[in-house]
Amino acid sequence: MSEPVWHPAPARVALVVVLLWLGVFLVAPVLTMVGGFVAPSDFSRILTVPSTWRLVWFSLWQSVISVAVTLVVAAPVTWLIGLHRFRGRRLLRATTTVGFLLPSVVVATAFLAVLPRSLHYTMFAVVIAHVYFNIAVVVRVVGARLELLDMQLMNAARTLGASPTVVWRTIVWPLIRGATAAAAAVIFLYCFSSFAVVRVLGGPRRSTLESDIALRAFGIGDIPAATVLALVQLVIVVGVIGVVRRLSGHEHGLSHLATLPPTAVAHRQRLFAFGVAGVTAAFVLLPIAALLWRSVQVGDTLSLAAWRTIFDTSLAASIRASIRTALFAGVLGVALAVLTTLAIVRLNTIGRLVDLLSIVVLAVSPVTLGLGLMLTFDIGWFDWRAKWWFVALAHTLVAFPLAVRVLVPAWRTTPIGLHQAAAVLGAGELRRFVDIDLRRMRPAIVASLGLIIAVSLGEFGAASLMSRADGETMPVMIARLLSRTGDLMRAQAFVLASLLVAVCIAALVLVESALGRSDRVARR
Amino acid sequence: MLHVADLVVVRDGRRVLDGVSLVVQPGERVAVHGPSGCGKTTLLHAIAGLVHVDAGSISLNHHDVTHTRAHQRGVGLVFQDDQLFAHLDVADNVSYALRVRGVAKRERFIVAQEWLERVGLSGFQYRRPTSLSGGEAKRVALARTLAGEPNIVLLDEPLSGLDDELHDQLLSDVRNLFDQLGTTVVHVTHDRAEGAALCHRSIEFATLSTKVITHQN
Repeated sequence: MSEPVWHPAPARVALVVVLLWLGVFLVAPVLTMVGGFVAPSDFSRILTVPSTWRLVWFSLWQSVISVAVTLVVAAPVTWLIGLHRFRGRRLLRATTTVGFLLPSVVVATAFLAVLPRSLHYTMFAVVIAHVYFNIAVVVRVVGARLELLDMQLMNAARTLGASPTVVWRTIVWPLIRGATAAAAAVIFLYCFSSFAVVRVLGGPRRSTLESDIALRAFGIGDIPAATVLALVQLVIVVGVIGVVRRLSGHEHGLSHLATLPPTAVAHRQRLFAFGVAGVTAAFVLLPIAALLWRSVQVGDTLSLAAWRTIFDTSLAASIRASIRTALFAGVLGVALAVLTTLAIVRLNTIGRLVDLLSIVVLAVSPVTLGLGLMLTFDIGWFDWRAKWWFVALAHTLVAFPLAVRVLVPAWRTTPIGLHQAAAVLGAGELRRFVDIDLRRMRPAIVASLGLIIAVSLGEFGAASLMSRADGETMPVMIARLLSRTGDLMRAQAFVLASLLVAVCIAALVLVESALGRSDRVARR
Repeated sequence: MLHVADLVVVRDGRRVLDGVSLVVQPGERVAVHGPSGCGKTTLLHAIAGLVHVDAGSISLNHHDVTHTRAHQRGVGLVFQDDQLFAHLDVADNVSYALRVRGVAKRERFIVAQEWLERVGLSGFQYRRPTSLSGGEAKRVALARTLAGEPNIVLLDEPLSGLDDELHDQLLSDVRNLFDQLGTTVVHVTHDRAEGAALCHRSIEFATLSTKVITHQN
């Protein structure tokens, strides 16, 4: 047995820092909510009324429908990207990701802009916006699995007499079933805790658990009811995450790299492939184009009046608030994600638990997190809630698990031989961490930073509860402008949404190119 | 009987096969030699229907199959890297061709057992492909192809990557099996000795192309 090339102390220190952080800003708020604001009678008060279960039922069935429609809509483009190579493939894949990275409030606003008025505030609007978001999940999760499939396996089945349909049923489907289930579960989670989309597009009669938690906590002031609903939501979400973990653990056929990677589109499928690419790109880009178009319309006339007001006090303040919040969350989130990743990759058993913990963090919805933080840090000697970075703390917790998912695979690609070689050449632990791990991880760290910034810029649930009137972030300002009457204010909402689209696309380009570099480093 | 005439396959603007012709009689085993990258595997894939043929013809037992789709040709192919289905156990791999024809599960299992016995792998029915050694995996791949009772079997360097002892043992077993079954075989390999030991006749890949022969002449 070889000597270990790294000492466990740095990873243990990282673990302590991460646990302390999560303890103070995640566990304590949840415990405060449960222990300090809920009496046993509140459970019976909330859980015995039919309206609560109607809420749960609506959250569930709109999620199930959204999942089913997303899988159907995303299937053709996933097939195209996952199994074929063609010019513009990366661009098409990046285009499908745009929806996922756009802030939920922006997507909701975009569909207000693109849908006819008769479809505003309908279930159709809610579902189509959810589909828009989640196409990327199917393309990324199932498409990535398809890319790993060895086309020779399909050729082998064909030479044994299997028709294309039989090949799909007997070879491809068993190998992508786990990934598809995992993607479906992720989409379910996003839709189940949907807030901005339901609030903006669902109309006053529709409410998910998430939007009702916010309403009860800050609209009615019934904190115990909000807490009970948050716990119900947490239980369902943790259950779904458990199912995802179970399903994603049963994967076959990934033991070797594909000997025959994705191939060119067959002659007879070219027209279909072109149609799929065109329709998908149009589906993603049309709402954005409509957003831009509506931003230069005040009433029925074309006007740049709304754009001229971005330098006005409230709009400019929201832009400034969003930028500083996102930067703060980005830097803090990356630091936290790097420490978490260090603990995961260096500490065997504990590392696996930390890995699980970083996923469980996702179970706490932004609204629940915001509510918990507001209640926990309502203390006399230091006014946390007046600080602009208080929102950023919530964003850090919302986004860092995603960054961990980028960093862990990148870190694990570092061959141990590099560490062994550096160690025998005299490089100490820190030297190797800087020269080998950090150097190889740089693209993944940049991608994580871009991801956290994009999430923070668009985060609406926690920010809508935690932002003070003078420091509202852009998504909060958009929702406020849309809730008012007046053509100019509506156009201003579209202007802010357009700006967020531009920034998020820039972040997407950064993430995509950084991930591309990360992949190249991994292959070295 | 296999009859390949003036076969042309163009890939990325390059003629990978350029006027290749080959005739294999029923029950005959033909070895095709050539260096890596000369187009041997593409020839097999063209015969199996896995690549688009740009010109020329392929007929099997006097039926033109040039544009028949792979799953309707009745051509068996043993891949260089086996390509066993990792999500199926060994018995399900071996009986896969019967499954796609709708044969009942119990009957398939019996057939799989018989074939596993023939290739010396009795008791391996429930094993996963990932648990097999290199030699075992190659035997399963061969059994899977033969269980489908194809008109012709194409072997794409199926014995590569084995150590000498295992290679010789497997070569002997495969030859005996083919002798018993009277299988028609096209075997591509860069190993001349292997081709000579397994097949009735050996051909240089370069001589299959009329264009190349013209150039050589």
